[in-house]
Amino acid sequence: MTDDTLKALVEALIFVSQEPVSLERLQAVIEGVPAAEIQAAVDELIAGSDAGGRGIHIIRAGGGWIFATKPAHDREVRRLLQIERKNRLSSAGLETLAAIAYRQPVTQSEVSAIRGVDSTGALKTLLEKKLIKIVGRKKAPGNPLVYRTSEEFLLYLGLDNLDGLPSEAEIAKILEEEKAVEA
Amino acid sequence: MTVTPAETPPLEDQPVPPSPPAEAGDGYQVRLDVFEGPLDLLLFLIRKKKIDIHDIPIAAITRDYLGYLERKTEINLDREAEFVFIAALLIYIKSQMLLPRETDLAEHEDPRRVLIDRLLEYEKVKAACSLLREREDVQILQWKRDFIPPLHGESELEPVELSLFELAESFFRIMKRREADDTRVIRGRDVSVEAKMKELTALLHERSVIDFLEYFESNASLEEALVSFFCILELVKSRVAVAVQDELFQTIRVWLRKDAHRTAAHD
Repeated sequence: MTDDTLKALVEALIFVSQEPVSLERLQAVIEGVPAAEIQAAVDELIAGSDAGGRGIHIIRAGGGWIFATKPAHDREVRRLLQIERKNRLSSAGLETLAAIAYRQPVTQSEVSAIRGVDSTGALKTLLEKKLIKIVGRKKAPGNPLVYRTSEEFLLYLGLDNLDGLPSEAEIAKILEEEKAVEA
Repeated sequence: MTVTPAETPPLEDQPVPPSPPAEAGDGYQVRLDVFEGPLDLLLFLIRKKKIDIHDIPIAAITRDYLGYLERKTEINLDREAEFVFIAALLIYIKSQMLLPRETDLAEHEDPRRVLIDRLLEYEKVKAACSLLREREDVQILQWKRDFIPPLHGESELEPVELSLFELAESFFRIMKRREADDTRVIRGRDVSVEAKMKELTALLHERSVIDFLEYFESNASLEEALVSFFCILELVKSRVAVAVQDELFQTIRVWLRKDAHRTAAHD
């Protein structure tokens, strides 16, 4: 297979997939091509799609690659889809999501304790948005449900995996900056 | 009570003259509902006063905190409870700090520890939130096929193509059903226990035995049926009639007692 055919093939596969396609998945589908070659093809595709004159690009999220429109076209895309605006998460929702993301697996009462606020409603909304999922029950009094973030969560925030969450150092830096602004 | 300076942080024990809480002189007001919760409010107060989170003057912060609570006009019980809970925690911590102790407390025994830990953790979550929000703002502008909703409606069902005639037909079918379903409230005639009692005893005299289920079904409305059931209970209780059920869930046969010469109707 020539480099160009491989590149075209990989592009087709990423295009048809509605969820991120991982390298392993690509390798399983394209038989007999070493992972490194596929990776190289993807890298080339990304470089090409990031260049000007293209409305879509390949982004890395949720452990794989997926096509996405470029941010610049948001307004017209929404007009085509007849969507007024895409709602951001409420601050309560985001706070709850952050608490779950960092402390998972967690129960409702643990999340509520971190926030100091009852989080039942926020959890329900996040479940409906499929950003979190129930992974079981805790062996504790009342057998409370245990929550984790979902694959959709990674895709929603454009994270490759949970290690991509803002690190302790990044958070500390933000706190420093906030204090510096106030001082 | 004797309190030595070593046991309480110096800032705290000074009697502070009652002052209008919080924003006096700050030139701006903050409404409580802009805070995500009590911890958010506490963090705000701590930062506003440039207080070290590890050495919070509990008395002063509690006063500010309660000041905000008092200025609340509307009451939302659910949220209120959470704010009051933290207020109670603050006061509890203060009371613990006032207790005289034989020896100085080690740092991990500081009654404020529990609050400090919660505040530090919450502060981190909030900071993470601002970073995650930045990501969200970028991602939300990039449309992925996964997140693209169908062009119209939110129905999960597969769209089906219909001809105009099929559409018209389903419309008429729905209208027909509506017609059949058309509910009206009909006030049933009032059935008095007294009248039913007379009717029942007369019937018992005439037929000597009544099959209860049969009789029940002949009643026009549920209300009437209920009244007749009460009547039968009443007749049995006053030993005018006997009711026998041969088997569970089978019908009940009712007849007049042979020895009962008086009837309910004469009562």
